[in-house]
This record gives sequence, C-alpha cells and structure tokens, in this order.
Amino acid sequence: MKVLSFFLSLYLIGEVYGEEQKVIYQYKKYEKFDLGNLEVKGQLIAPGDISVRERERRRFELDLYSRKDFDAFIRKDVESLR
Amino acid sequence: MKAALAILTLALTLPLLADEGKKKPFSAALFEKKYYFSALNEFFVETHNREIINDDLKLLEDLLYYTGIELLEDYDSDLLRKYPTSSTRFILGRQALQQKKYKDALDLFMKIHPDHRYYPEGKLLEAQVHDQQGKVSERGEAYGACVSAAEKSAKEAKTEKIQRYYVMVSEICQVNKARHLFKIEDYKASLDAYDKIPKKSYKWPYLLLEKAWVYYQLGDYNRTLGLLTTYKSPLLSTYFFPEAEYLAALSYFRLCLYEDSLTIINQFYQVYRPRFQALDSVLKKNRHSQSYFFNLMFRPEADLKTQEDFVRQIVIRMKKQTRFSLDFNAIHKLTLEEKRIAQTEKPLIRSKLLPHLEEVKSNMMAKINYNSKTDIFQFLDSIPFLSQELFKLNLEIISRKKDLVYMNKRLIADRGRGDYDNVKRSRFEQFWTFEGAFWADELGDYSLGLKSNCQTLRNELKEEE
Repeated sequence: MKVLSFFLSLYLIGEVYGEEQKVIYQYKKYEKFDLGNLEVKGQLIAPGDISVRERERRRFELDLYSRKDFDAFIRKDVESLR
Repeated sequence: MKAALAILTLALTLPLLADEGKKKPFSAALFEKKYYFSALNEFFVETHNREIINDDLKLLEDLLYYTGIELLEDYDSDLLRKYPTSSTRFILGRQALQQKKYKDALDLFMKIHPDHRYYPEGKLLEAQVHDQQGKVSERGEAYGACVSAAEKSAKEAKTEKIQRYYVMVSEICQVNKARHLFKIEDYKASLDAYDKIPKKSYKWPYLLLEKAWVYYQLGDYNRTLGLLTTYKSPLLSTYFFPEAEYLAALSYFRLCLYEDSLTIINQFYQVYRPRFQALDSVLKKNRHSQSYFFNLMFRPEADLKTQEDFVRQIVIRMKKQTRFSLDFNAIHKLTLEEKRIAQTEKPLIRSKLLPHLEEVKSNMMAKINYNSKTDIFQFLDSIPFLSQELFKLNLEIISRKKDLVYMNKRLIADRGRGDYDNVKRSRFEQFWTFEGAFWADELGDYSLGLKSNCQTLRNELKEEE
C-alpha cells in the first residue's frame, strides 16, 4: 500500500509540473473597434463661451540673447588683413 | 721705381679684378632679372647655413617688398629667427600671438622699426596682446599709435592700393577702440568712436549692426530699427546678416510690437532657414576639397543655383578683404614670373625655378580655398544659434500674449504707426521723412518713430443682451 501511494504521489507531482509547462500565452493579433457604434452613457454638456479665470501667472522669463562684446569681430578683422 | 709702381698698381687692381671675377650669388642675379619669388627661395638656400650680414638683411627686405610676407608663413620659424628684420619680426610676432605666447609676441612687435611699412599693423597686433594680458592703458596707447602711424603712412602712400590698406588698418584700430568702450558699457563714448568712421569706408556697412547694438543697449529701439533698415537699401544688398534680423525682431519685441516681431521671425523660418540648410548640405559635401572653395570665389557652381544669391553675397564680401587682395595679387605675380621664365630662360634654369614657383602658387591657392571655406562655414554656423534665439523670442511673445489673456488686458493698440515725437536725436543729427527711396547721404541715419506699445488696457466685460 505504501509503495502504491508513493507511486501515486510521484504521478500527481509529475502531472502538476507537466500542466505548468503546457501553459501557452497568446496575444490578440487583431482587434477591430467600430468607433461609430460605441456608446458613451452620460449627460452631454458644452461650455457656452470661452472664458479664463483672471489671475497672475507664474512667469519664467527666457534669457534672450543680447550682445555684450564684439571680441569675435575684433579677431575676424585682424584675420581679414592677411 | 718703375717696377715698384707696377707692383703697387697690380696690388691695387688685383682685388678689383678678383671682385669682378667673383661669381654673383644666384639670388642677386634673379633679383636683377626681377624674378622676385624665385630669388627669395634662392636667398634662403644660399644663406641659411652661414653667418648673416647686413647686406643679406637688406636684400631680404627688398625682396619681401615685392613678394609680400605671406609666403613666409610657410617657412620654419627657427629659420626666420636668423634674419632680424622688421618683416620677419612681424611674421614671427603674429605666429607667437596665435600660439598665445604673449611675451614673445610683444618683444617682437616692439622691435619693428617705426618707419617700417608693417609698423601700423604691428601696433594693431600689439594692442591685441595687451588686451589678452588685460593691460587697458597699454592697449589704448597701442591703438592710438596704430591710428596715427597708419594715417601718416596713408598720406605718404605711392599707390591707391597701398593707401587703401593703411586706411583700413587705421579704421580697424579706431573701431576696436569703440568696441572696447562698448564692452565696458560706456555706450555714448562708443558711439562717438564709431562716428569717426566715414560713410565711404569699406568697413562702414559692417558697423551699422554694431552701432545698432549700441543703440539697443541705450534703449533707443527706434534708432536700432532705423539703422538696420539701411541694410534694405539696394546699395547694401550684398550685406545680409542673420544677426541683424534677430536684433530687429528683438527691438520690436522690446517695443511690445509683437506682430512686427513675429513677421520677422516667420520670414526667417520660412524664407532664409530652408535656403541656409540647402546651402549647408551642398557645401558640406565639398568640405575636404582643396579647390572647390577657391573656384567658388570666381564661379559659383550650378548646384548652388537656388542659393546663389547668398553665395554671391558672401563671396563679394570676402573679395573685398585685404587678405584676399594680397593672396590673389601674389598668385597673379607668380603666374607672370612663371611665364617670363618659361619664355626667356634656358631649360636648365627653367627646370630649377618653375617647380618651386608652381608649389608656391598651389600653396597660395590652398590658402584662399581654406580662408573662403572658413568664412562661409563661420557664416553658416551662426544660423543655428540665431535660429534658436529667434525660437526663444517666439516663445516669449506667446507667453506675453498669454499673460494678457490671463490678466484680462490688452495692449494699447489705438496708437499711430509712427510719430516724430518718438524720434530721439542729438543736436548734430538732421531729420527728413522717409519718402520710399533710399538716398546715399541719408544711409545710416534712419530712425523709426514708433511709440512703445507696452502700455496695457483692461478689457471691459461685455454685458449680455
């Protein structure tokens, strides 16, 4: 009896492992959406006018380029002579 | 007694006979035949391994007067140090300055003789050395000496070309003074220094942009825009500077004339930038060529046709440079010397001289090729930077417009487009209204009369009917 139950346990363990190995995941290769037939449940609302709440915006001023010297021009002038 | 007299006469005549019998150096013979480029090369061959005497130095200076000193750039600096002349010191000083060996450069420039033809340009370079060393008063003195020496040399010049060269040196020294004043933010003094350059000067069109920046820093945006308008005149059509477009857009922005600013930005993106990109791709294909840019100076190629205007404008500006005139003139003289030698000399002499001349000529052509390539790519390389700055300006305008919306305000838009009251001018400046035509004597004196649009008004709420 002991021998029989031992072999039965071995068989059951083998079956469990075997099943785990057989799992195959498949992904949908193609799916079609018919947007025209989609229904959204709820109440349709739209703003009557475009309005902005009046407020001070946090400003991040960009550092715009402003020439501070003509060093490159000085070098170029000297080079232009010979 | 007779015998003694005969011996004495013989003793006196022998050295003379010996002198006549002594073979003249080949370089001196070539100099006499006016083969100056060949003579210069032979001179170095004959003298490089012996002691140099004063006559050698005199011959070298005489030769360099005809050939120019550009050829010396190719000689080893250790060799040139053997010949202590003002010309070699000038060349060696320039090389030391480029290598940032300021002490050596200064020593060499200081030793150029005040009567020498390179003295004024030497002073200009000396000022550069003082500038690098942060010596402000010495720099000012060097520029002052440069201006007075160049003006003196211009008055004494024998030909118009030489006179033009000295005027150019004098003006560069004068302009550099103005540029240094701009750097230390003494804008009024800088403007005074710029105003000393006459309108007929070759440098003048370039200075409009610099003066426009000075007025910008003074907050006179109308004058900035007026100066930049001068570039639209047909007389200055070859002078296109992307930086001028940026400065105009920036000035409109400072006056809160956002739409005018956006017009310039859009024009840059839609018209100029695609042409620059196309030009860039064509030129980059030839960047390793030894002759493409040299040929471009004389004949813009077919694949540049659509961008031809820009190339032509850049090329015209480069051809007006002193450097190009000197190099091109050297090539012309070399060709003439080659022809004369080929026509008049025996085969042995021809085979000795012509290969060297051909090599020198090829070096000069490579130099022009390199310089024109550098100038064109420097111009094209400035485009991405300015393009990026214009993009930032565009973003800033959008942001300012959004501010107005969020604060429920609008710009004061019911202004007149321009008014004489908005024109700032000194008592020396004249005023005429612009009648749709550019007059030569008015160029560079324009000012717009736009009122600042930065004042804002609150939008009133519309009541529903």
